[in-house]
Formats: sequence, structure tokens, C-alpha cells
Amino acid sequence: MQKINRNVVLALLSLTSLVFLLFQLCYYKFYLSQKNGAAFSKVRGSQSGQDSTRWHVVRKFLGLISSHNIPVYLIDPLILGLVAKDIGQIRSSPDGPSPECKYFCAPRDFTTFALLDKTWKHEAGLFRTAEKMGFQWLKIINKDPRLDGMDDLSGMEIPLHYIFKLASHAIHLVVFYERSGNFLWHGPLRLKQHMDRKFVPFRKLHFGRYPGAYEKPELLLVSIDDLKVQIPKNPSSFLQEMSHSRFLECRYREARAFFQLYPDDASLDAVEFRKKAKSLLHLAALTLNNLGVKFWLSSGTCLGWFRQCNVIPHSKDVDLGIFIRDYKADIIPAFQKAGLPLKHKFGKVEDSLELSFQGEDDVKLDIFFFYEEDDHIWNGGTQAKSGKKFKYLFPKFTLCWTEFVELKVHVPCETLQYVEANYGPEWKVPVKTWDWKSSPSNVQDNGVWPVDEWDDVIQIY
Amino acid sequence: MDEWKPNPAVKPHKKRSWYLAWKYKLMNQRALRKLCQTGAVLFLLVTVIVNIKLILDTRRAAYEEEEESAQDYDDEMLNVEVPRHPVNNKKVLDVEVYSSRSKVYVAVDGTTVLEDEAREQGRGIHVIVLNQATGHVMAKRVFDTYSPHEDEAMVLFLNMVARGRILIFTIKDEGSFHLKETAKNVLKSLGSQVAPFLSWRDMWTFVGKKGGEVYGEKHAKSPALSTWGDPVLLKTEVHLTSVEDAECHWPDTELNRRRKRFCSKVEGYGSVCSCKDPTPIEFNPDPLKDNKVFDVPVAVIAGNRPNYLYRMLRSLLSAQGVNPQMITVFIDGYYEEPMDVVELFGLSGIQHTPISIKNARVSQHYKASLTATFNLFPDAKFAVVLEEDLDISVDFFSFLSQSIHLLEEDESLYCISAWNDQGYEHTAEDPSLLYRVETMPGLGWVLRKSLYKDELEPKWPTPEKLWDWDMWMRMPEQRKGRECIIPDISRSYHFGIVGLNMNGYFHEAYFKKHKFNTVPNVQLKNVESLRKENYETEIHRLLGEAEVLDHSKNPCEDSFVPDTEGRVYVMFIKMEQEADFTTWTQLAKCLHIWDLDVRGNHKGLWRLFRKKNHFLVVGVPASPYSSKKPSSVTPIYMEPPAKEEGAVAVPAVAAAEQT
Repeated sequence: MQKINRNVVLALLSLTSLVFLLFQLCYYKFYLSQKNGAAFSKVRGSQSGQDSTRWHVVRKFLGLISSHNIPVYLIDPLILGLVAKDIGQIRSSPDGPSPECKYFCAPRDFTTFALLDKTWKHEAGLFRTAEKMGFQWLKIINKDPRLDGMDDLSGMEIPLHYIFKLASHAIHLVVFYERSGNFLWHGPLRLKQHMDRKFVPFRKLHFGRYPGAYEKPELLLVSIDDLKVQIPKNPSSFLQEMSHSRFLECRYREARAFFQLYPDDASLDAVEFRKKAKSLLHLAALTLNNLGVKFWLSSGTCLGWFRQCNVIPHSKDVDLGIFIRDYKADIIPAFQKAGLPLKHKFGKVEDSLELSFQGEDDVKLDIFFFYEEDDHIWNGGTQAKSGKKFKYLFPKFTLCWTEFVELKVHVPCETLQYVEANYGPEWKVPVKTWDWKSSPSNVQDNGVWPVDEWDDVIQIY
Repeated sequence: MDEWKPNPAVKPHKKRSWYLAWKYKLMNQRALRKLCQTGAVLFLLVTVIVNIKLILDTRRAAYEEEEESAQDYDDEMLNVEVPRHPVNNKKVLDVEVYSSRSKVYVAVDGTTVLEDEAREQGRGIHVIVLNQATGHVMAKRVFDTYSPHEDEAMVLFLNMVARGRILIFTIKDEGSFHLKETAKNVLKSLGSQVAPFLSWRDMWTFVGKKGGEVYGEKHAKSPALSTWGDPVLLKTEVHLTSVEDAECHWPDTELNRRRKRFCSKVEGYGSVCSCKDPTPIEFNPDPLKDNKVFDVPVAVIAGNRPNYLYRMLRSLLSAQGVNPQMITVFIDGYYEEPMDVVELFGLSGIQHTPISIKNARVSQHYKASLTATFNLFPDAKFAVVLEEDLDISVDFFSFLSQSIHLLEEDESLYCISAWNDQGYEHTAEDPSLLYRVETMPGLGWVLRKSLYKDELEPKWPTPEKLWDWDMWMRMPEQRKGRECIIPDISRSYHFGIVGLNMNGYFHEAYFKKHKFNTVPNVQLKNVESLRKENYETEIHRLLGEAEVLDHSKNPCEDSFVPDTEGRVYVMFIKMEQEADFTTWTQLAKCLHIWDLDVRGNHKGLWRLFRKKNHFLVVGVPASPYSSKKPSSVTPIYMEPPAKEEGAVAVPAVAAAEQT
């Protein structure tokens, strides 16, 4: 009896485990299909079948696009990453047949292409052809940010993203728009309520979590895996750019509310100052970009952008921030060459460096250098007559692109924290009297420069 | 068949014997067997636990993932569901129409579709067109038939309305003074009994179907010249037809889909909605060779005059070298019908919440439109600015393409304009000729981005300043001595007769006889001579060859200029200093050209044509060209007439009207 019992128990347990195993398999399959969209799980063919599906979908898409004369270029980070490794070879043999499908067959869910908005007419014909070819497509539209900054203009919504799905692969077409400041912009991908959330695994998209800002790329026509396609001329620098492309739109609505409370200064002086500040900022941006030095809007200029999307007319100077690790000795001569003489230099590279250049008619360009610590970032200040040092503390931040006075510039992504650190919780209220030594809420005394160093750390011209 | 039939008995037997053998073998090793069994049990239990844990984990992960992705990619703006109007299955509409001196209104099924009780506005005959199947308002017009030519516009409009539509008429204030016989006959043909006898300050309402029955008419006669007829209120019922009867059946193409959407919503556009052989909405004019303005954005400034906009866009899209992708229509206000027109032509349109009032509103709309244009086309160095009441010449873009490089290279230029203020039928002759003038004509012009961004935009008049934007742009503080290039024969035609600073009389006097180029591909003459220095050389050459006219004659008389062709004549008028335009204004008046302010001058010189001869007028001694005056000639002086009593003063700001 005991024996039988034991066998029965064994058999039962085996059965349970079998059931579990089956259940697990089913669940796994279900989980996969949920993750990758319904179409993806239908055919779990051999690996090579999957690979060639991707290639076929890309080929079909390129055919569709070229039949409507729409110039797209490849921006898929995965493929560009592979291409970047072999770029020399690809460039040298633009037409050579490739022995194996190396790039377009690489495992992935999407292939991403870019489209410059101004290079195509928004023809509905494209989508009808796409449907005939078997593509399912999704269009994501939203407000035109180029009109957002304007009082009370409402244009048509513009297409920001397209997704074309065929079999188990999808093409993500990102629409790029030209913005003032001579750069390209793509919008965020946001699903409206009625949209199919499972159309594709949106989370896996490489573009669309945030809007992005890019330089206008130089393109190169190449043949990879026997497909002719345009790619950025330098794929690795494009990928580099992509990783830092996050774009922040100015808070136009809040800025309008601000101007409702505090009407804008429209006096001739204000107009003149804004004009000068704008041209000074353009000159500074040109100079620093030529040197390859990364900078961002700091202090009052940053506050102006964040609070009112414009230069604060009573601020009287332009403030920029630069990480000390990006400091170059060429900065001073470059500005002097650009017609901006050095007005003063406080501190030294190791500590509290601050440069100030004289712009046209009393408009000053202040450059503060920022020092990174483990849990905060700071920049220094120096009082010329007493040699006193000050320290301004900021929480850690990263840099985002934005558009300001027709310029593509960096601002701290965590702008609110940055501005609050500097100007306190009352930053929304304009203040005309500002003392840089006591007004900022993040200022700390930082001792005094040793007298023997004064000649070096306090230079006034 | 039989031979490969499987034998079910064999296999299980074999299997069973193998199993037994194995079992027997294991029996011999009891300890090992026991160990295996316990091991198996343990292993199975662990599997079960691990499995359960795995399931729970994946479920939670999947859930979290979904949550997160939803947050990342959800539009923060929730789409507000637009409440749908319940489908109206009613077959009968109740219509109420009211006509009186100071107020008109029309209500359809209790909904007011027209109400106008504003003072000194909306005078004349109000017309409403309803869709005979749905009862929706398809068009709303007011024709100020107190003023001339408005009745012609009304006839034109009524002729364009499709058969079967329901028409509602009502008069506010006065609608008969310039209601001519033709118009009365058209109203009569619609079934009105009263229309032929409408007279001064009568009140009148009428509801009828075009080409069909009459639903009602009411009339109140004015008892005396100084008083108005009593208010009338007409209440009637209209029977609806089926939707199929109210629609056309065009072939299903992209263009026709746009057409259908348009035609089911609005009325009064004539053949574009005709069922048989509708007029095209795509024009494909010849492209221009070497088109320098293909990438220049075109901003069309519009208000709520959709039929004007329709006419304007037709002419614009028919102009050679047009690039529809660069066109943006800016509509001042949230008006639907202008937007429908824009969509009919597949263009992009932007609506602008009106800011301020009157001239300041127009001025704010201009600012917003120009800023938006340069935002949308950040690469553009120029923008073409047009208004909704302009016809565009077939060679408009060719004209700009040939001259735009001057605006880029010559700092002394303020704009290029397609409009010659003094280019009337009798004073303009040469389509290939260009001038430099100190006044900014507007009405189809090119603006340089740097001028706008660096100078105009920052100090543009603020909303509380009731200034005309164009008058402001003409002020010396803005113009800074710069000049505009204009053609002798205008490349635009101002057809608008209703507008902020415009009415029928004004239009007839100053705009109707304006010359408009209709010749395609005109090759402009000597464009390089328009540069600042070259132009002086050119003027001196012209004055050198010009024959001095007989200054003893009356310059207003036709005989002042000999009956020749193709000659160059010059006359000298008195002009004490730079701002002394007394004689010029009188001369302009008698020549029937623009005399409301000074236009078209260049350093005290005006250039026009008389009897096909080039005719130069030099102001002496203010003009630097005075030196060309022979000493024997005395400059002509014309005295302004003493102010006549009761003379109707033309609105002081008699600028070319803008929107």
C-alpha cells in the first residue's frame, strides 16, 4: 500500500510540475506577445526568418518612400552604431554588394528614419499606397511649438511621428522641423486618449520620450545590405549628439501669465537693451561654439528665459555658465578677437573662476565657471575691493537644449531647482535691486583670498 | 492498404516490459530508490515555489511597465469629448426673421443664427443661406445696398447659390438706395412680390427656396423720407429634403474630397460646387525658370471676408512660380468659413485671437502674422505679405524673382511692392518699368527679415495704440530715408470694397481704375538701374532727354501733353521745401490719381505716363533735380480750392485700406 501511495504521490507531483511547466510556457508566450504587440508572437520562425523580415520591411518602406519622392534618412541608433564601426569601408565602396545582411537584419523591433518636414508635401497618397502595401500606420500630431510662443495664434496641428507597421517589424518615422536658431527639432511622442496603446511597444522607441534638438546633418548616400539609404555623414557624432539632444520648450503659457501680472517694459531703453543683449548672446554663442566649449544660460539670463521667455530688460548683463572641466585657455583670446575685451577676471582655474567681458555700450558678458562636487555644483564670486570670496551652491543638474532669442542654447534641465537655488522661492516676482553678494539665496561666505594671490585672482581692466 | 496498418498491440507491450525491467532493477537498490524519490519530491516542490514566485514577479513587472509607459507617452491634455448634437430628424424648420431700423435677427428652430443690433454697422440687406437637407447655415452675407455696386455683389452672390438652397433676406436700416433694377429682378425671380417696389427705408423680410417655393414675405413701408418703416417679424416653416438630394456626386479623388467637405458646409462660391463640371481647385501654373522666390514664405493676411479670400487665393495659386507649401493664411479671429476656404485649396491656415480694436487690431494681427511667418520658416530672408482683397498678377512671382536680389544687396531699400499708388489706367503704361519711391505702398510687398526682426518687431505699436501699421511703417522714424521698388503697372489689384477704411465710393474713386498687369513672363527692363547710385544716373539721363512742356498751358488739360507716343516730357511745379506738396496735390487731383496723401515721389520727382508718354513732374526748388529746369520756365503753382461748404470729408486716414 505504502508503495502505491508513494507512487501516486510521485505521479501527482510530476503531473503538477508538468502542468506548471505548460502554464509557464503559455504565460511566457502570452507575456511576450503582450510586450511586443500582437503581431510579433504569431510567427516565431527561425532566427534567419526574423532577420530577413526586418530587411524586407525596411526595403518595402524605402520603396514606398521613394515612390513618393520623400527624402528620409536613417537615424536608427542601433544600425548607425553598427555602421559607425565600418564607416570607412562603407564610404569607400558605396555600391558594392554585401555578402551578408549585417545591419538591417540585426535584431530589433524598430527601424528609425528621419524626415525633414519642409522637404515633403503632406500628401494623403502616401498613406493610401502604404495601406495597399500592407502597412498599418499611426500618425501622432500635436501643437506646433513654433507658434506656441506667440500670443493667441492657433495653427493646425502638425505631424510629429509616424509609425508604419508590417508583420513583426515597424518603421518609426520622426518628423524634424526647422526652428529659429538654425537647428532641427523633433517633438515628443504623446498618445492621445483614443489611440491604440498596443500598436507597437512605444517604450522601446529611441525617439519621442522627450523632444530633441539637432544640428542640420550632412547626409551621405550609402548602400548597406544592398539597400540605398541616406545616413548622417558622421554616424558616431550623430549618436553622440543624440545622447544629449533633449530639448526643453520655453514655458510660454507661464510667461504670458507673468506678463499679465507684470506688463512688459516696452520703453525704448528696454527695446535697445534687449537688442544688444541678443546680439551679445549670439556673438558669445558663436565664439564658444567655435571653441567647442559647452555653456548654458545662467543667473539672470536663465531666469529671463524660464520666467518670461525673453531677456529681462533691467538685468543689464548676459550671464553664462561653463563647467570648469570644459575650460580652455583660448576662451579669453577668442572673445578678445571677437571684439569683446576682458573686463575682469576673478579667481583661478582651480578655484572660483569668473570672467567678465565688455560688450557694446555697457552690456556685460559674465561667464561663471562651475565646479562639480559629489552632491552639488557650485560657482564662486569675488569682491574686488575686499578680496572676499563667495560660493553659490546648486543642486546637481544636467543640460538640455532650448530656443532663446533665435538661438539654440543649453539651459539646466532641472531649471526650476536651478532658478530656485539662485533666486529663492520668490523668483516669480521681479526684483530691480539685486546684490550679488547677499541677495541670492544660495550664497555662502567662502573666506578671503590670501593677499599675496590678489594680483592673480583679482584682475580688473 | 492493409500492409501498413499499425498494430496497436505491439508497442505498449514492448514499452511495458522495458518499464518492468527497469523497475525491477531499481527495486534491488532500495536505498538509492528512496533517495531518488525524496530528491524528486523536494525538487518538484522547489519548482512549484519558484514557479509561483516567477509568475507573481513577471505580473508585477508587466504591470509596472505598463503604468510607466502610459505615463511617459500619454498626452497630458485630456481630449475633451465634444458633445454631439442629437441627430435632428425633424423634417420641418421653424424660421423667424426680424427687420428693423436698428436691429435684425434670424432664428432657425429657436437658435439665433444672425443677430445684429450694433450701431452704424450692418446696414443693408442681410442674406442667409440654409442647407435644404440639414438646415445648417451655409452662408451669411450683408450687402450694403445703400452704397453703390453692393447690389451687383448681391446679384453675383445669389447667382452662385446652388438651386434648392433656402434663402433668408432681411433689411437693416436702409437697403434700397442703390438697389438697382437688375437686383430687384433677381429678387423677384426668387419669388419675392415686394422686391420690385422696395423703397427708401422700407423694412422687408423674405424666406424662399432658390428655384422653388416661397415660405413667407413681410414688408413695412416707410411713411416718410425722414422715418423708417415699422419693424417686421416673419414667422414661417420650411420643409427639409433628403441629404442625397442636396449633394453632388463627384468622382472620389483627394481633391474632390476637399471639395465635398467645403461644398456641404458653405455656399456662395458658385462653380466650385457645381455638380456638373465644377471649376478646378488645383491650378498647376507653369513653373518659373530660375525662380528666386520659390523658397520665400507668403503670408496672406485675412479677416472674415471668405469670398474675398477665395478670389484672392485663386489668383495667387494661378500665378506662375507659386509654391503652395510656402503659403500661410493668417485669419484674424476664429472664423470658420475663411478656414474652410483655406482647406479647400489645401493650404495651411492659422487663426489669431483678436487683440484690441479697429486699426490696432489689424496692426496686432499683422505683427503676429509676420512673427509667425519667420518662426515657421526660420531660414527665410524675406517674406511676401499679401492681403485677402488683392488679385495677384500672373507674373507676380516673376516680377519678384527678377528684383529680389536688390532688396538683399541694396541697404537703401525698404521694400519691394507690387503696387504703384499712381498706376491708374491712364497713368501707367510699361509693364517692364520699375521705380524707386519714398513711400511704402503695401498691397502685396516683400519684407526683409532683418528689417522686421531688428527694427520693426521690437518697437511695433502696442495694442493700445490705435495706429495703422502701414502709416506707422511710413513714419520717418521707421523708414529712415529708405525707399521701395515698385513697378509702373501694378502686380496686384485691390478689389475689396468692404473693409475697415473702405467703402464703395472710396473704392470707385481710388481703386477701380487701377491698372493691373495681365501679361505673363514680363522681362523687367534694366533692373540694375534701380540701385541707389544707378538710379540717380538713370534719372539724370531721363531728364536730359526729356522735352520741357509748355508751362503756360493748364496742366490739368489734356492738351497740356502733345498727342505723341513714347516721348519723355517734364514739367516743373512749385515746391518750396521738402514737405510742400500743395501744387502736387492739386495736380494729382485733376489728373485723377491718388491725392489723399503724397505717394510715389522720389526726391521731389514723380514719374507717370500721360497719353503713352513718360511724364515727369519735378518740384522746384526743393528737388535736387531742379537744376534741370531751364531758367526761362516758371514752375507752375496751383492753389488749393477754398473749402467748399458741405464737401464730404474723406476719412482723414485715407490710407490704402488694409483688411
